[in-house]
Amino acid sequence: MTTYLVKDDLMAPEVIADPHAYYRALRETDPVHWNERWKGWVLTGYKEVVDVLRDAENFSSDRMGYLASELTQEEQESIAPIFHVLKYWMVFRDPPEHTVLRMLLNKLFTPVAIERYRPMVRKIVQKTLDKVVASGKMELIRDFAYEVPMTVILELIGAPDLDRDKIKEWSEAIGVFFFIKADEPRRREIACEGINSMVEYIKPLIEHRRENPGIDLISLLISAEEAGQINYNDVIATCVLLVFGGHETTMNLIANGTLALMEHPEQWEKLRNDPKLLKKGVEELLRYDGSVKSTVRWAKADVMVGGKQIKKGERLLVSLSGANRDPLQFDSPDDLDVTRDPNLHVAFAHGIHVCLGASLARMEVEEAFAGLINRISCPVLEEESYLNYYPSVVHRALKNLPIRFDQIK
Amino acid sequence: MGNIKVTVNHNRCVGSQLCMHFLPDVFDLDGNGQAIVCGLDDTDVTTLVQTAEQCPQCAIKVEDESTGEVLFPPAELGM
Ligand code: HEM
Ligand code: SF4
Repeated sequence: MTTYLVKDDLMAPEVIADPHAYYRALRETDPVHWNERWKGWVLTGYKEVVDVLRDAENFSSDRMGYLASELTQEEQESIAPIFHVLKYWMVFRDPPEHTVLRMLLNKLFTPVAIERYRPMVRKIVQKTLDKVVASGKMELIRDFAYEVPMTVILELIGAPDLDRDKIKEWSEAIGVFFFIKADEPRRREIACEGINSMVEYIKPLIEHRRENPGIDLISLLISAEEAGQINYNDVIATCVLLVFGGHETTMNLIANGTLALMEHPEQWEKLRNDPKLLKKGVEELLRYDGSVKSTVRWAKADVMVGGKQIKKGERLLVSLSGANRDPLQFDSPDDLDVTRDPNLHVAFAHGIHVCLGASLARMEVEEAFAGLINRISCPVLEEESYLNYYPSVVHRALKNLPIRFDQIK
Repeated sequence: MGNIKVTVNHNRCVGSQLCMHFLPDVFDLDGNGQAIVCGLDDTDVTTLVQTAEQCPQCAIKVEDESTGEVLFPPAELGM
């Protein structure tokens, strides 16, 4: 393990395969660690992570602003489409602009508002399972975990008929910029193409809604634009962000959660015997192996974190997975316990940027597991297959999860 | 109004600051970046419930102390 620390290689194959072991070693030796290779701080202790996430006064999320300051004018122009859209993403903005967007959208994503979609999600889950359970095997991500969140987010923005294959392709292209294949030399061009295509695809939808307002999310954004609260760039960027952020993370959590339960069949049985545990169970799956491993902040001033002096302008990799396994916050943190309570994990982050889609994701994942535990036995990994994760510092994303199971009649 | 009680569960609050933005006179931040109730003034119950609804964590509980009725969160949410 010490060799990793020396190498400071966050993308080393061992770290991608088992980030928890790496971040545990880091937390035990140096919870606020200067990573020379990444040229930033890596935070792995719960207290430090939470302190930073809850302190938007001292820590900025202005990713595009900091990126611009590192690039020449020419470099910036070469990725203009990325800047034009991503600088309006609420997740990369600081107050007060962030606050306006967040307060506006939050109303559509509250726990109560989201309950409205539960019957629809339940139906999608059943329909998707109908197609695969009889065969006794499936590739869980392609055959199940992908369908549910993608269908739901399109329904939510009021565009159920959009072409999913295209959206998936463009989302992956945008993802290349941030998360995946940091070693891909054309990653910026690929992301520009993805963004441009998605924007061109969404624009007519916005215009259609301007003429024919409904109760959907796009209509809400347009009325806020017309009232002068936000501008057209905010409308487009928010649509892209929701489509992009609304499916992959949830899909990955369903996959990571299934795998966690496969490795702890007694926990699967607990959920099966008492489905009321599903709410707590989903919180535990988020804590145990959430789909977003980390996020980034920039210090807006000289500030102390966990006894270390952070200087203005320095960046911090905030490890959500590291914090979620901190024994100072969680008893037996490496055990999966679907009855864990309280469970104040950081899988959706904390503070002002706490995931807007958290209630939606929770409900979708609850329904996904309610469906699975009812219809199939605790699965096992398909013979001769092995686990392979996308090389990403941010996402905990399996490439596929081929499973076998018995259908429950 | 004197019978309404509002509490924040610190085992749930993630410090989103949403409650403070919606009702700055009622909610404030403590030293850990979590919400606390600083006073209800004359805020009407409907407004309190609507604000509690905005909490992504269902950390805010609104009760009628005289009847013991929980006005938020509703039982259906299973919180
Ligand atoms: C299990 C699934 C999900 C996980 C683990 C997750 C995780 C996160 C995290 C960690 C953040 C904070 C990022 C930061 O502070 O830098 C975040 C923000 C966000 N998420 Fe999610 N997310 C999930 C699902 C969703 C869904 C389904 C949607 C859309 C409907 C969504 C939309 C957003 C948005 C818009 C933000 C920005 C919020 C803000 O800046 O105020 N997420 N998410
Ligand atoms: S809205 Fe909820 S999570 Fe956010 S600060 Fe208030 S009580 Fe805490």
